[in-house]
Amino acid sequence: MFCKNIIKKFVEIVSKYPESNAFCIDDTFYTYAFFWNLVCKQRTLIINQKLTDKKVGLVVNDDLFTYASIFAVWMEGMGYVPLHPKFPTDRNLEIIRQAELHKVLDSNIDSEFDDELVIQTNACKSLKPTTRIIDVQDDSLAYILFTSGSTGQPKGVQISFKNLDSFIDAFLDVGFKLDNTDRCLQCFDLTFDVSVQCFLVPLIHGACVYTVPHEQIKYSYVFGLLDDHDITFGIFAPSMINMLKPYFDEIDLKKLRYSILTAEASPIDLINEWAECIPNARVFNFYGPTEATIYCTCYEFIRNSFVKEANGMLAIGKPFKGVKAVILDGNLGIVDNGKKGEMYVSGNQVTQGYWKNHERNIEAFIELDYDGISHRFYKTGDLCLLDDDNDILYYGRLDNQVKIQGYRIELGEIEFHARRTIGGKSAVAFIYQGQTGSDEIALCLETDKLDKNAIIISLKAKLPSYMIPTKIYNLDKFPLNTSDKVDRKQLKELIIKL
Amino acid sequence: MQRNNIVEKVKEILISVLEHEGFELTDDLVAADVSGWDSLTHMIIISSIEEEFKIKFKLKDLNKMRNIGALIDIISSKIS
Repeated sequence: MFCKNIIKKFVEIVSKYPESNAFCIDDTFYTYAFFWNLVCKQRTLIINQKLTDKKVGLVVNDDLFTYASIFAVWMEGMGYVPLHPKFPTDRNLEIIRQAELHKVLDSNIDSEFDDELVIQTNACKSLKPTTRIIDVQDDSLAYILFTSGSTGQPKGVQISFKNLDSFIDAFLDVGFKLDNTDRCLQCFDLTFDVSVQCFLVPLIHGACVYTVPHEQIKYSYVFGLLDDHDITFGIFAPSMINMLKPYFDEIDLKKLRYSILTAEASPIDLINEWAECIPNARVFNFYGPTEATIYCTCYEFIRNSFVKEANGMLAIGKPFKGVKAVILDGNLGIVDNGKKGEMYVSGNQVTQGYWKNHERNIEAFIELDYDGISHRFYKTGDLCLLDDDNDILYYGRLDNQVKIQGYRIELGEIEFHARRTIGGKSAVAFIYQGQTGSDEIALCLETDKLDKNAIIISLKAKLPSYMIPTKIYNLDKFPLNTSDKVDRKQLKELIIKL
Repeated sequence: MQRNNIVEKVKEILISVLEHEGFELTDDLVAADVSGWDSLTHMIIISSIEEEFKIKFKLKDLNKMRNIGALIDIISSKIS
């Protein structure tokens, strides 16, 4: 019950700790009472709109209004669709069109969207607060997140209140003990689901959430927060920790109690060194597709003991409480322990499906008998193995989908837009290791002449910055494989030689 | 080294890493205002500056560095 476990818990925290800090945003602290007041006034603002739709767009600025919008929307039994102010307007408009949004909440008075679409959230200040608790329907949507899709169109993952409630319950069951003295890091964009864990878990415990302004260089600002504010609970993408690596000898964070790694595979060498910087923290590796609500498996890294790994990447461990994970072969047969296959997950955290995307839903979900009962499973596209202790090891993606800076992207979407800029000729995007050791995107176009700037400019109008290639090449002709498809592997080898 | 010499050298580094000159190097310029200056290029810019001026930044220097003026001040204090 989302209403009982999340909303009522939050309201209870507000009345218990009104003067405690709920947020620290750009060096300013805001108390629970102050935050609550904004939530309640925004509810009135939303009620006054007399919306018939149960979902609303939300421009995710890094400010208190935006976080208050999320709670206001939820307390009205509605869901939000995040729109990133730094993403191209075209992409946001495409999401608005696909999700059939009639209204968009925005705290920015210079909104990029039309007046008739926008609800200015800072207009709520003069309104009376709405404080009553209404019974939120568990099958209603809490949010829809749009992720990269290879057809050139993003696809919307629908997460219900029941999905989110099940996630929070299972997450806390891992063994986290938080209270009103905890200080928690929230360094993820609100368009990425890990952000929901980062702000929601602290706020139902009376802890304080520390955010990262969009215009800051993230890794150095995050270190500033960890060091200046003695953060106790931190969730990190390994690629961000990798950026701190040159400075590990200066980092000594004795107050950090929990360090969660997520969003991408965690290199074991890096985590061994990171663990030295956080001597008192328990370190966990969390795995989960957006479709199964934030995380659905977990592995605890224990210092100075045997750590399980696959190809140098930390194991992803055991399924969350209430989650079933199975490893299947190409014929949907369960493979033996010790053999690789594709992981499928089931349970209350798994989405009811992609928003109005029948074709994808047929591909991505299957019915499978498990322990004598038929369950609906989500096909993760991840190559995994179950070892003899039933711990899951992760071997990477099966398809053309990759992760950059924690964002899951389909190279096909970049290729789709690249092809359009060069009049339909072939384009192949691939991943390479950049100068900093992080994964970056390279794009190769099948054309004899190349205007790199023009291509970058047109891609930037369509794609968020993390999807923009850092290197662009051209070849007169692409190598083909025996089935006359572009030979990606050979192409990549050719490019590396250039 | 004179402050404007430092500014000039920093400018050259930025142009070479970011591959464009679409910015004016004023004291209150911030990374977010410069196209292409993100976490990844920031790391390369910082290591190029360290190499050029033969200095080494502390992480604490970096996270207090809010704009170009602060960057120039830190470089200046490290080389004097």
